[in-house]
Amino acid sequence: MSSKTGNPKLRSAAWRISLWATLAFAFGTMLVFVFLQWFVENDIKRRSDAWLSGEVEVLGNVAKRTPKNRLYGRVVGEVAELAGREVPNKLPSESNANNSVFFLQRGADNSLQLWVGAGSGEDTLRAIVPRRMLPDQPTDIRVNGFAIPFRVACLRIDDGSQIYLGLSERDELRVLNSLRLRFLLLWMLIVVFGFAIVFLTTKRMLSHVRRITEAASRIGHSDLNTRVPTTQRNDEVAQLGLTLNRMLDRIENSMHQLHTITDSLAHDLRSPLTAIRGKLEMSLSATSHGDQAEPIVSAIEELDRLAEFLNQSLDVAEAKADALRLTRNPIDLAELIRVMIDLYEPSMTEKGLQIQFPSPSSATIEADAALIHRMIANLFDNELKHLPAACTVTIRIQTEDDSVSLIFEDNGPGFSPEVLPLLFEGRVKGRGSNGHGLGLAFIDAVARAHDGTVTAGNRETGGAHVTVTLPLDSRENIGSSIAVHAAK
Amino acid sequence: MRLLLVEDELDIQGFLKRSLEEAGYQVEAAADGKAAERLAIDGAFDILIVDLGLPDQDGIALILRLRQLGVRAPVLILSARRSVDDRVRGLEQGGDDYLTKPFAMAELLARLRNLLKRKNPPGNEITRLRVLDLELDLLRREASRSGQILQLTPQEFVLLEYFCRNAGRVVTRSMILDQVWGMRIHPDTNVVDVHIYRLRGKVDSNGQQPLIKTLRGVGYVLKDR
Repeated sequence: MSSKTGNPKLRSAAWRISLWATLAFAFGTMLVFVFLQWFVENDIKRRSDAWLSGEVEVLGNVAKRTPKNRLYGRVVGEVAELAGREVPNKLPSESNANNSVFFLQRGADNSLQLWVGAGSGEDTLRAIVPRRMLPDQPTDIRVNGFAIPFRVACLRIDDGSQIYLGLSERDELRVLNSLRLRFLLLWMLIVVFGFAIVFLTTKRMLSHVRRITEAASRIGHSDLNTRVPTTQRNDEVAQLGLTLNRMLDRIENSMHQLHTITDSLAHDLRSPLTAIRGKLEMSLSATSHGDQAEPIVSAIEELDRLAEFLNQSLDVAEAKADALRLTRNPIDLAELIRVMIDLYEPSMTEKGLQIQFPSPSSATIEADAALIHRMIANLFDNELKHLPAACTVTIRIQTEDDSVSLIFEDNGPGFSPEVLPLLFEGRVKGRGSNGHGLGLAFIDAVARAHDGTVTAGNRETGGAHVTVTLPLDSRENIGSSIAVHAAK
Repeated sequence: MRLLLVEDELDIQGFLKRSLEEAGYQVEAAADGKAAERLAIDGAFDILIVDLGLPDQDGIALILRLRQLGVRAPVLILSARRSVDDRVRGLEQGGDDYLTKPFAMAELLARLRNLLKRKNPPGNEITRLRVLDLELDLLRREASRSGQILQLTPQEFVLLEYFCRNAGRVVTRSMILDQVWGMRIHPDTNVVDVHIYRLRGKVDSNGQQPLIKTLRGVGYVLKDR
């Protein structure tokens, strides 16, 4: 699912839940109604058929027994009319003419012998003649001029003529129709209403979840003081908020523990280092002979390196636990690189190295200045220590929509294959390096602490590359990632 | 200059006291907060050095207490902890300073000087610096030695200016990186040394008396006599 296109509301969980719930409800109720209607229709037909079969039998008997004289028409006609008054489920008709029932006698020559009903009966005869009908099996016959077909039963009598008794179910069907219409209207109302209710309820419920998500993602690496919002109700969402807050309490607690440990470790190591350094400095100022000073000088240098190593190790350890404390300020990365180049250029030139920095555009990030300074100094130190003479370092800054990449490339020998898979492990150092091998692990740690990434490897054209990618503005970035999550 | 040193580690207290006394301070030392309070009330001190991790109370609590008692002297906070917590930042903004252990003595002395200078700011801004036969025009950004203009890059001028402002005093590589490039980094390469080497090539050229002296294991010093 693409997160950048379409209306976010149409992709919200509330929308989907209410859509499916409404669909299921609408389909179910429709099914029940269709079944009921089918049942009622059948029942009407069954009753009509029973009546028709009975009456046609009676009429047949009457027609058989009545002599075929000039009274025949009147006698049979009257019996038929009487029968018509006993039609089942008949509604009082507006007109006196009873056009829901007809009686027709057809001669062997297809002539109309007798007609009882509304109109002349010619239309009905024309409708009946082409149809082949079985006795005792009423059929639907459509007659010109009538919207609803007649249910017709037929009986053959001995003189070769046939009598037909027809019954229109229009009254029942009219009731059924109006029932259907009302049901459809009500059904639509209920469906729309139900959809609205389900949508609003789930939306309200899920908006709590979204607020929790927003608050939770605002809680960054270093900011563990805030808590997600909780509601008074004791439902699942409130439980979720409470559980998250309890989890945050525990994380904050262990984070605090970690800080206490690193602080006391730093304290316990730095205090003796301070004392040793002080004493070394004092004995250095007391000695005037160069020969005696040399070991003291190198001891001081080693001690400073050890102190820096301690700092970086603890930074890496804290960053690996996502517990590095940051003080964010706006930093222009391009400007910072220019200052760094100014600082490193003489040493590079001294070693026969060249620096190229072809992207002088500005790229401002919100970051911890001290850590970023040390990270970039580390990148420069790496190049300075490991590149042979006559190589070129190319530094580029690439700005994307929401991130900025700082790329260090060189045309030197690249990383040796045995250290390549272990670059970010720490404790790895190339041959001839006098560092502690923490360089890339530290760079990785700083990038991680800023929600960034580091990639390093060898270029296809030869040489090594290290790319540090940092989010351009972490606050904005968090906001938009929430929007994407909420939309999903 | 009367200085009150509050530090519980006796090893550190010992060498600090000696080094500070050598630098010309009159040092009283206390090993815990109670002793520090007593001393601070009795004697008027010009400056205080307070270690954050004291056995009987928190260093920040002590500083706040002393402020309540009317001690106005600036404070240099020493800490072996990792993070500079927010309360220390608050104190920093109040005019006090902060230094992480381990430190070079030269840096401690520089911080103390800065704190004292901030307390008594100079009346008017200097526009010219002069050290022996070296002269810096801060407005025109021009440096000359024995009347001869030195061809310096802007960065080299800033570096030389920093040396001149601290003439006769030791500056460490960390201090140079902090003050000249504005970065608190500790590169394990010789970046600063190469800059100094270049600057020296321009300042101490053609057989003149070398002004920029390297103190191995400590830093550099610009000779002022």
